[in-house]
Amino acid sequence: MQNQQSTPKLELRNITKWFGPKDTGVCAVDNCSLAVQKGEFICVVGPSGCGKSTLMTVGAGLEQPTEGEILVDGKPAGPPGPQRSVVFQKFALFPSETVAQNIKFGLQMCGVDAKEQERRLVEQLKIMKLEQFRDAYPSELSGGMQQRVAIARSLVMQPEILLMDEPFGALDAQTRTILQEEVQRLHREHHYTVLFITHSVEEAVYLGDRVIVMSRRPGRIKKEISLPRDVVWKRGDIEVAAEHPDFIAARREIWALVREEIIAQ
Amino acid sequence: MTSNKVAFVGAGATLLWVAIWAWLTREGGPVSELFFPSPGDVLDRLIMFWSRPYIGSTLMGHILSSLSIVLAGWVLGGIVGVPLGIAMAWWTRLKWIVFPIFQLIRPVPPLAWIPLTLLWIGIGDAARIFVVFIAALVPWVMNSMHAVYSVDKLLIDAGRTLGANDRKILTRIVIRSAIPTLLAGARIALGNAWTTLVAAELLAATAGLGYVALNASRMLDTDVLVVAMLLIGLLGVMLSALMGLAARMFAPWVKNDRNGG
Ligand SMILES: Nc1ncnc2c1ncn2[C@@H]1O[C@H](COP(=O)(O)OP(=O)(O)OP(=O)(O)O)[C@@H](O)[C@H]1O
Ligand SMILES: [Mg+2]
Repeated sequence: MQNQQSTPKLELRNITKWFGPKDTGVCAVDNCSLAVQKGEFICVVGPSGCGKSTLMTVGAGLEQPTEGEILVDGKPAGPPGPQRSVVFQKFALFPSETVAQNIKFGLQMCGVDAKEQERRLVEQLKIMKLEQFRDAYPSELSGGMQQRVAIARSLVMQPEILLMDEPFGALDAQTRTILQEEVQRLHREHHYTVLFITHSVEEAVYLGDRVIVMSRRPGRIKKEISLPRDVVWKRGDIEVAAEHPDFIAARREIWALVREEIIAQ
Repeated sequence: MTSNKVAFVGAGATLLWVAIWAWLTREGGPVSELFFPSPGDVLDRLIMFWSRPYIGSTLMGHILSSLSIVLAGWVLGGIVGVPLGIAMAWWTRLKWIVFPIFQLIRPVPPLAWIPLTLLWIGIGDAARIFVVFIAALVPWVMNSMHAVYSVDKLLIDAGRTLGANDRKILTRIVIRSAIPTLLAGARIALGNAWTTLVAAELLAATAGLGYVALNASRMLDTDVLVVAMLLIGLLGVMLSALMGLAARMFAPWVKNDRNGG
């Protein structure tokens, strides 16, 4: 019991993904393995087009890997579902549904009763500061607000695993900073297991317990960097954190690795 | 421009056009009343035949005859066309079974069906409903198909990760996000149906605005002819406006300017 190695919450084992026929198509991901422990926040960085999104869609079960397997709690993961919730770069909100309907969508699909739906909706609206936008349509919201709705729609499912694909990539700098801090806080309070994809090294250093650097296409795992967990500077604002020597050192190290790949492209 | 301003300019322009018409067709003016009646004459006729029958029924009767046939053909077209179009987009195999026929029917003007229709079902209402049905069917099907195609695949992915099964994805994500395009298709279908009906009435009818226009032209009665044409135009505008209203009601998430007026 004491010596038992804990099974990762989510494991991608020897994943290879070809688009089109093998050998003549595009190899987006080449033999990537990565394990996310329960409650861990993992960030994946890499040059544009290196296969980060592919890794995530495969991890979510939305695409089948050409080779390799996805395990949740050590068992084959099967089709996509609310247990592995996804936040997409382009929000992917349902345009015909209001904020409240979007957030309740997954609960309705899973047969949660109406009272519980309402309770969890109200809770999420509060967490994400969306109370006034309850009956607005996504087209009436700013990008930052839309991404809050998308995050709320994922969190309301109380997912065991949260997959986020450059969730803040499309947002302006101020909104991004605020949401980064919010996600940091949520993770600290609720211990979500998160696989977070980004091309921002700062974001990865601020949010991640571990940062995985991917090579240029076909994406391989180039290096894994463990960052200090539960340190004081991660609890504060991102600008404050960014001045901490540990942050600066980590950012420099990771950026050097990413730069190598970009230059070699 | 604000909508108030738009309405003001529109009303002003309409008055101006009527004034130009009145000036051109005035007594001793450049256009003789034999070729085109004045607004006053048209109004006279409109009022006169509103209560008194013209070839069989009052103008209201002819209008109702035309409208009911248009609505019947349009609704039938929708009942067949929307499910068919959606199914064609959802099951590729079905698309390739049905599509060749469609490609063939599309360039044939609906009116070209009239001779066959007369042969099959004679000159009654059913014949006109059938021709209108054909005219409406093509836009119904095409737009329904494209409505489904234009749904972002990302939304389907999002639905799957939220636990939606195929049926829920079709009904709650695909069809609902497709509503604006479906409504645009409905509007085109209605426009097609209306113009086709009037043309069909010119060829084979015993009532309706097209029939009135045909008779009036045979009698060289340009007053009544213009009354009929005016009503055809106005009703077409009205139907289109109603569809715009429907779009705003059934797809409230779409910004107003896309629904049109
Ligand atoms: N459905 C697809 N069909 C064919 N090729 C694809 C498909 N999806 C992705 N690719 C290719 O696979 C490679 C990796 O794409 P992916 O979207 O995973 O990159 P990424 O790292 O997420 O890039 P970015 O940082 O720009 O988001 C790219 O070269 C892309 O063109
Ligand atoms: Mg990507």
